[in-house]
Amino acid sequence: MIELIEVTKRFGSETAVDRLSLRVEKGELCALVGTSGCGKSTTLRMINRLIEHSEGEIHLEGRQVREFDEQTLRRRIGYVIQSTGLFPHWTVARNIGLVPRLLRWPAPRIRERVEELMALLGLPVDSFADKYPHQLSGGQAQRVGVARALAADPDILLMDEPFGALDPITRESLQAELRDLQSRLHKTIVFVTHDMDEALGLADRLVVMKAGRIVQQGSPLELLRDPADDFVASMLGGDDRGLKEAALTRVSERMLPLSPRLIARARVPRDATLHQALAVMFREHADRLTVVDEDDMPVGELSLRRLVGARRDE
Amino acid sequence: MSESTFARCPAAWTLWRAPLIWCGLLLALAFGMAALEPLFRAVEPGSRQVIYPHAEFLTLLGRHLLVVGVAALLAVVIGVGAAVLVTRPAGRDFLPLLAQAASMGQTFPPVAVLALAVPVLGFGTWPIIVALLLYGLLPIVRNTLAGLQGIDPSVLEAARGMGMGGVPQLLQVELPLAAPVILAGIRTSVTINIATAALGATVGASNLGAPIISGIVNGNTAYVLQGAALIGLLALTVDSAFERCQRLLGRHGR
Amino acid sequence: MRREAPLPNRVLTALMLAAAVAWLALPSVSVAPNRIVPGTPFHAYEIVGWAGALAGCLPWLAMVALAWRPTPTRYRVALGLAVLLLAALPAWLAGAAALMIDPTTPQARLGVGAAVWLLLFLLGLVLIELRGRLALPRLAVWLLLAPVALVWWLASSHGLESLALVQEYRGRSDQFTAAVIQHLRLVAGAVGASLVLGAGLALAMRRHAGLERVGFGVLNFLQTIPSLALFGLLLAPLAWLAANVAWLNAMGVRGIGWAPAFLALLGYSLLPMVRNTFVALEGVSPQVLESARGMGMSRTQVFLQVRLPLALPVMIEGVRITTVQAIGLTAVAALIGAGGLGTFIFQGLGQAAMDLVLLGALPILAMALVADGLLGALARRLDPRQLPSAGQEATS
Repeated sequence: MIELIEVTKRFGSETAVDRLSLRVEKGELCALVGTSGCGKSTTLRMINRLIEHSEGEIHLEGRQVREFDEQTLRRRIGYVIQSTGLFPHWTVARNIGLVPRLLRWPAPRIRERVEELMALLGLPVDSFADKYPHQLSGGQAQRVGVARALAADPDILLMDEPFGALDPITRESLQAELRDLQSRLHKTIVFVTHDMDEALGLADRLVVMKAGRIVQQGSPLELLRDPADDFVASMLGGDDRGLKEAALTRVSERMLPLSPRLIARARVPRDATLHQALAVMFREHADRLTVVDEDDMPVGELSLRRLVGARRDE
Repeated sequence: MSESTFARCPAAWTLWRAPLIWCGLLLALAFGMAALEPLFRAVEPGSRQVIYPHAEFLTLLGRHLLVVGVAALLAVVIGVGAAVLVTRPAGRDFLPLLAQAASMGQTFPPVAVLALAVPVLGFGTWPIIVALLLYGLLPIVRNTLAGLQGIDPSVLEAARGMGMGGVPQLLQVELPLAAPVILAGIRTSVTINIATAALGATVGASNLGAPIISGIVNGNTAYVLQGAALIGLLALTVDSAFERCQRLLGRHGR
Repeated sequence: MRREAPLPNRVLTALMLAAAVAWLALPSVSVAPNRIVPGTPFHAYEIVGWAGALAGCLPWLAMVALAWRPTPTRYRVALGLAVLLLAALPAWLAGAAALMIDPTTPQARLGVGAAVWLLLFLLGLVLIELRGRLALPRLAVWLLLAPVALVWWLASSHGLESLALVQEYRGRSDQFTAAVIQHLRLVAGAVGASLVLGAGLALAMRRHAGLERVGFGVLNFLQTIPSLALFGLLLAPLAWLAANVAWLNAMGVRGIGWAPAFLALLGYSLLPMVRNTFVALEGVSPQVLESARGMGMSRTQVFLQVRLPLALPVMIEGVRITTVQAIGLTAVAALIGAGGLGTFIFQGLGQAAMDLVLLGALPILAMALVADGLLGALARRLDPRQLPSAGQEATS
């Protein structure tokens, strides 16, 4: 668990972070979103003390981060940055094994751990262990960056725009992998991004920042349904945010049991999003869809009224 | 040119102050060396002659400049020309060879080049000019190639796309963009050549190196100091002038 | 489109046609009855007649033929031919010596003519071109050139005794060895001292911005002063010091000799050394350093395990530039009595004995090339972007 209480950071006369309070629960993925210069990266880096905060308290598992030895603290926290920061003169395996080596794990255990992580991140050991970073694609390098951050099995992971430099397709697949990884590992993750779609897709909790302060925080759906002000609304895409909300809701949450009426010709998978369902309706000129399961067996139906109208919590 | 750029541009005097001061000192020393006789007398109390007697310093300076200037001019024309030729489609075949030869050639010490030129070319002014030219070519070729090849391909693509190409593209896009790098090469070339030309005195050239050689041979430190001071000032004048030019060019940087 | 035969290699063609012209039109050797008299130049046709001279054109034309429809195999044949020709030149010189020099005149000597120099130069360019075409590693070229050097070396004692260069060497082989050692000692001393001083200075500059500005200002200033002038300017103060400070005098410091040479060399060496060390240390990517810190490395660990290894190739590059520069400047230092190979150059120039000049200049050239090659290879070896990849072998 990470807790920031009234944390302020000043650079000279400039206040980068202004009395910010934030609580990230264990196992939660918290995304800090905002325009550039809003203090989100500074906030992140104050947690592992790459930047020392000026005022307030930062707690980690109940202890102030100032009480930790700087290096011990950082070795307990995984850290991933945009350009990966891989050491160009070390092989992939050596890069991943960095923190375990700093922690003086015995060599066989390090090797074992490195292989385990490479498998976890889909990097075949045979072909990647001895490569150098310059021989990797952007996506592969970023995977190595994540593996390196996870090496010593830290409870906390700090990620600073980790997918910012990747092309959209690689970025989406890595986002999916991170979601998958998180559903298995349940790390406490603080994730900085300026890409609202990325934040909406990944975060359990979204923190929107502006000029060093938190404007609003909550689950993605909470923010989409009830943005605190115009700034948050525009960050969320203005009028498009309805579509983004649709993209966060599964068809299975809205569908009704099959009615005795004639079955609709247009079909949509059960685990598709409402956004995709809407697209199917648009394409097929239909206002009613048959919802099918993985085996293409009809399991329910979804009408346009139902899609746009009803609330999940009804 | 925007106002802010203009504001950053200091008055001509401030910009050219350093080269002008060095140049002033150089000329003053070349004209008035005789006035410093008491000083040199103190350095070299045992000698009858304390001011280099065999030629006017101004003449030596002129000859030095002439040799370096002619060599530099030829080197710029030939060096830039060669680099431009091999970066055109027609000359592309020769590019790797020229690039490699230019970078390897720079390994050769200038003294060795000068020394090797003499057996082949003989003594005198022309052999020195040729030796300086040969050696001075290398940094110019190398930098011109680097400058031309370092241009963002998208700029060239845009130039071609808008119907430029051939000579207009070379003159209006490529050379101006490569100019700062080319100028840096010319600066290196000229700086080295001023030093190497002085060594020409050992192969019979009469220039600012002559008092130094003569002083060393005759054990007259005063001669050595006179030659050394003038060459040093000449080098500083030229180098600082080049530096200002680079700064001016850099302002329109990429 | 059907795969057409490859286009002629215009580079090789041009080089080899130039070689054929040089072979016919320029003198191959010059013969002098003794050291004083300037030699008489002889063209190839004057030595072996027109038939022989034209036959001598055949190898160059063969190379042109190979370049007409180049394939990798033909390039390899051309490479073999070029190496063979390089090794055949001493044989040609030896043959010319046997034909042109009367064995009853032991004073007679053979000078290497413009044609042979030009052929050596053109063949060197051919090697560069072929290395590029065949994508040969640098080491391969060195290995190919080793037997050539051996042939030249052997020829100098078997058949080329009358070569003027060899005779000049014979006359002063002890002096020559001493000069080489002296030269290397000065270079090593200056480079070593500047490495230590330069690294210290660069580290200090990283701490203090003021020192950085002043330091680079002074070093740039020094670098601009021509070597001959700097040697000269150091002469007076050192002479004064030697006369007035006893322990300096006892150390052997004089206005003339190794002291001003060493100081000037050190001054010149500092700029490239400091600049490269500084740039190298500063040039390490901030992301890499940040992630090193973020992973919990200590300051010392970051410096020793990340910053220094990543900076090393650029630092070695600084040592390379410095060494090559010092090898050349040490030659000039001979003028102020520092010894070394420059002595032969300036003696030779003074006596108009061109082969003595060569005796000084050629080893300097060789030293510079070897130092450049070795240190360049070391820098490339340490560069992470050039590291061999075991991974690629594993996948294949």
